[in-house]
Amino acid sequence: MKIFDIALKDLIRSLRNLFAIGMMLVAPILIVGLISMAFGGMNSGKVDLPELKVGVVNQDVPPAGLPSMGQAMVDLLNDPSVSSWLKPQAMPDETSARSAVDNQKIGLAVVIPAGFTASLLAGKGGSDLVLVQDPTLTVGPTVVKNMAGSLMDGVTGARLALGMVSQSPAADSKTLQNVSSQFQAWFTNFQRTLYHSPDTALAISAPAANGSTPASAAQNMMGLVMAGMMVFFAFYTGAYAMMSILREEEEGTLARLFTTPTGRTTILAGKFLAVFLMVIIQSLVLMGAGTVAFKIVWGAALPTALVVMAQVAAAGGLGVLLISLVKSSRQAGPVLGGALTGLGMLGGLFTVAVNMPAAFDMVTRATPQGWVMQGWRMVFTSGQMADVLVPCAVSIALGVVMFIIGARIFNRRFA
Amino acid sequence: MSNGNALEVKNLRKNFGELKAVQGINFDVRQGEIFSLLGPNGAGKSTTISMLSGLLAPAEGDALIMGHSIRSDATAARACLGVVPQDIALYPDLSARENMVFWGKMYGLRGAALKSRVDEILKVIGLVERQRDRVGTFSGGMKRRVNIGVALLHKPQVIIMDEPTVGIDPQSRRHILDNVKDLNAQGMTVLYTTHYMEEAQELSNHIAIMDQGKIVAYGTHDELIRLVGEQARIELTLNTEAGRVLDAWRTVEGVSRVSAEDGKATLLVNDSNRVLPRLFESANRCGARINGVDIQEPNLETVFLHLTGKALRD
Repeated sequence: MKIFDIALKDLIRSLRNLFAIGMMLVAPILIVGLISMAFGGMNSGKVDLPELKVGVVNQDVPPAGLPSMGQAMVDLLNDPSVSSWLKPQAMPDETSARSAVDNQKIGLAVVIPAGFTASLLAGKGGSDLVLVQDPTLTVGPTVVKNMAGSLMDGVTGARLALGMVSQSPAADSKTLQNVSSQFQAWFTNFQRTLYHSPDTALAISAPAANGSTPASAAQNMMGLVMAGMMVFFAFYTGAYAMMSILREEEEGTLARLFTTPTGRTTILAGKFLAVFLMVIIQSLVLMGAGTVAFKIVWGAALPTALVVMAQVAAAGGLGVLLISLVKSSRQAGPVLGGALTGLGMLGGLFTVAVNMPAAFDMVTRATPQGWVMQGWRMVFTSGQMADVLVPCAVSIALGVVMFIIGARIFNRRFA
Repeated sequence: MSNGNALEVKNLRKNFGELKAVQGINFDVRQGEIFSLLGPNGAGKSTTISMLSGLLAPAEGDALIMGHSIRSDATAARACLGVVPQDIALYPDLSARENMVFWGKMYGLRGAALKSRVDEILKVIGLVERQRDRVGTFSGGMKRRVNIGVALLHKPQVIIMDEPTVGIDPQSRRHILDNVKDLNAQGMTVLYTTHYMEEAQELSNHIAIMDQGKIVAYGTHDELIRLVGEQARIELTLNTEAGRVLDAWRTVEGVSRVSAEDGKATLLVNDSNRVLPRLFESANRCGARINGVDIQEPNLETVFLHLTGKALRD
């Protein structure tokens, strides 16, 4: 019972500490929230682009009898399907368009040169579209660039197809016009569908993990980012919670505890229990917040539970070990900050969404954080128990070893 | 305990490397008495208390608290003991009540018994209205009251108070001294450590004077005073370096001890009325002038000076 009394007392003290709450719960949620906002509505499968003002300079004069590709470009930019985010406006010339970009009145200038139609239909270069963008913008201009490229590809494809049709003995001008109209209609619809339809023409999704609903690649990435932050802050919590023993030593309450008829083993056990409980509570809260706020799908229950256990064991064990090596709470701050940040970086917690070289993967296995993160990766990719067993087993083993060493050091220190 | 002793200390020793902090001390504390350990800073009082309360393991020797050995039966010994540490040892972010409930649990109290005992102690220390407030918001005096209250929760038979009045205002000090007397009146045995002679004088049935890890004297107040006979303590302030004058004073009849520090000479004399004129005469002959005279009748400070050659508050 006394073990639980001591653990409960430590829990209450931690939960009343605003700094601790901030670091354990608020900081990881905020960081993931910022990342989530930066990538927009990735988890819903939709991409909401920020509004982009586009200045259009159409200098194209098509050869007689031919449709204007410059006007086709203008029509594409003015299409209703992109009107929610694309705001084109006609500009008199390239100079004024460039000036408007420089002054950040528009985000992108599209300059359609004279002879654009002729060179495009002839399949020759020399009169290319000029795109001048605000360098601080990335997504919007890139989409417009892709739209323009897609148009030019489509025209080139149509030219080649019409060329082939025209060589047919049955081809006449009516047939060619028919083929051209059908192609144009198909192409326009395809463009709309590609970029702005709930049922996108091209969808990428991750294979469904066993027992869970299929998640998009974007959702899995958010899940990994959240897991990375959760692992980082879980290890911080493990160490911070164990710092209570240093604080009690400095407050004099630890000495007072030793004067009561409560054994030292009981006192230390109570403190260790508080560490593990803190990490468990933090993990559950962050997972809940991830589900509610960021729609993260955590995967099948059993593998997820096992990884959480491994996370708790490793974070608690490392916390006990690190604090056992430190003499005071003042010393603990910089030591923990440096050690945990360094190990977190080496463990790959900050590069979960990036394809790192294989050699780095080896480095991550040298840290307990790396093994826990590997467990989360398995949860989000295969979701199979067999795949999470090894990283979890290693994490738990590391946690136990670190705990035993740390506990022995504490026992000797307070003997 | 059948022999009537609440505490028996037997040849207790503690070293910290080369430093012999406690060098084989022995004393007994009768049940129901107030016993003071009096000595300057660094005498070994706190180290002795730490060993008795289970914070430090003795290098040698043993102590029995209500018959329980601190070495072989430590848990039972600590169960009989309440400890009021010198510094406040409370959780500042818990309320007074929460602190008491926690510490009560550490002493094995539970449920209704714990609740009623906490209510009782809060009343005794006068903090019923502030029981839900965090201890960190309390004044120093209030914290001390909670500090003492925690030690009383489990109704200990022996209570150790380690210099409880250091650094506090006279009013709070008075309050604490009255508390100690009240506790004793209720039958509690009190082991009280202090370097304030007047506290030891006011409170104690028996006093042990400690210096450099040893007990240099032990007994009642009157017994200790008799160690120095009827000797008075005279403090003289000189206008010059004391050197030659001290040598001269050592030869004056009736002077038993002479020491000097910070421009003041301290002498133990048999009859201050007779000796004082001789001291003035002697100083004149050496060309020194006495600027100030302070005569103190025999007290524990005198005893300490007599036994150790230095002032109690050095």
